[in-house]
Amino acid sequence: MAIDPKHVELINADIDGEISSADKTELEAILADNPEVQSLYAELSALGESLDSIPDLDSPPHLKHAILASIPQPQPSQGNNGSRFLQGLFAAPALKYAATFAAGAILTLSLVSSDRASQRAFDDVTGLVGTISDPVPGGPGVHTTQINRKEVAGTVTTRSSGPILIVDFDLVSSGPIDIVASYSDRTIWFNGFAQLESSGASISVQSGRVTMQIDGKRRYAVFLHNAGDRDITINLLFMSNGEAIYSTDIEYAQPGHAG
Amino acid sequence: MNKPDDNKLMERCIKGDRQAFETLLIRYEKPVYNAAYRMLHNRDDARDVTQTVFLKVYEHMDQFDPSRRFFSWVYRITLNESINWLKKSSREEALEHEAADKTSGPEQQADDARTGESVQAALMMIKSEYRAVIVLKHVLGCSYLEISEILDIPEKKVKSRLYTARQLLQERLTDQGLH
Repeated sequence: MAIDPKHVELINADIDGEISSADKTELEAILADNPEVQSLYAELSALGESLDSIPDLDSPPHLKHAILASIPQPQPSQGNNGSRFLQGLFAAPALKYAATFAAGAILTLSLVSSDRASQRAFDDVTGLVGTISDPVPGGPGVHTTQINRKEVAGTVTTRSSGPILIVDFDLVSSGPIDIVASYSDRTIWFNGFAQLESSGASISVQSGRVTMQIDGKRRYAVFLHNAGDRDITINLLFMSNGEAIYSTDIEYAQPGHAG
Repeated sequence: MNKPDDNKLMERCIKGDRQAFETLLIRYEKPVYNAAYRMLHNRDDARDVTQTVFLKVYEHMDQFDPSRRFFSWVYRITLNESINWLKKSSREEALEHEAADKTSGPEQQADDARTGESVQAALMMIKSEYRAVIVLKHVLGCSYLEISEILDIPEKKVKSRLYTARQLLQERLTDQGLH
């Protein structure tokens, strides 16, 4: 036998905690002498309890950072306030590089030597180093890829400044992650590196390949010499404990080119 | 209560206060993620939808109507994005049929044990419009009035949709011998 829809409504309102005291009294009277309504009430109450007891899940650990990293940054205010905490820097002169990465840049230094031996020119990127503490600007010629893995999350952006291609890494990781950025165009070469935090810096460079290690939240910029403002595809390989966990490509195309 | 209310934070966001946005993000990240997960039953999808939701909030903050409550706006975006996600991935129809006999991996099984899987499985077998009211009521704890505001439907319709949703859920659970 069908239950009076009014009774069903009262039961549901009670389960939802949205019943008035007058309706509650009415429902109790109905329940007292109607076994069918009692049965439906028991059934729906049990279901309501099951639904209410569904536990909350914790959101992924890097989600907040990934979201913040992916939203457009407000334009920086005029002038440099000098309060930025940029600490590590590297520009072309090998001595600066050595000073910054005295603890772990042997491989890099040897490469710098070999590049110098091959007569490759280094541009002074000192002026660009400060820009990595600024929000990465949007617009033509700026290409961003989002990384959204449980081990590492954030953004990698390419942009150019004159002959320098800047690859910004704004990432957070749950443990040590090696990032291998490789590119095949040998007319482009490593020109420098900057970071916002000084501790834990680790970078090595080989021809067509830059390897960095991050652990925690890091903002890095790699400067590549790209005198021809050539379009380039950089493969980013993320590794944890020697195992590849993610790979993606990021493009750079000069403004006006497709992409 | 000392915490600034959501709409005040939105006012600050609109003026370019990134910290205010971060406060809203901290406040709503978890409920949005949970709602998306309950709509999609997939952690990766829920993560992506959560990210999309907050990007939309950020990009369209100038469209926020300050006469309404922030949570109703963000939850509406969450449900719409979840439903769009299902449509895009053509999962809606499949989900209605797959839950009963799906095979799940170890991570999913561990989830299942913790998350009241029988109910979640039944949830995935009802249409998304019904799932949405269940999520709003039982996961996000919204009142009839709040659900009506979020879905932009009359309160009376909220009630009838909830009743139908529960009825359908009960049937699915009974079919599976689970309730």
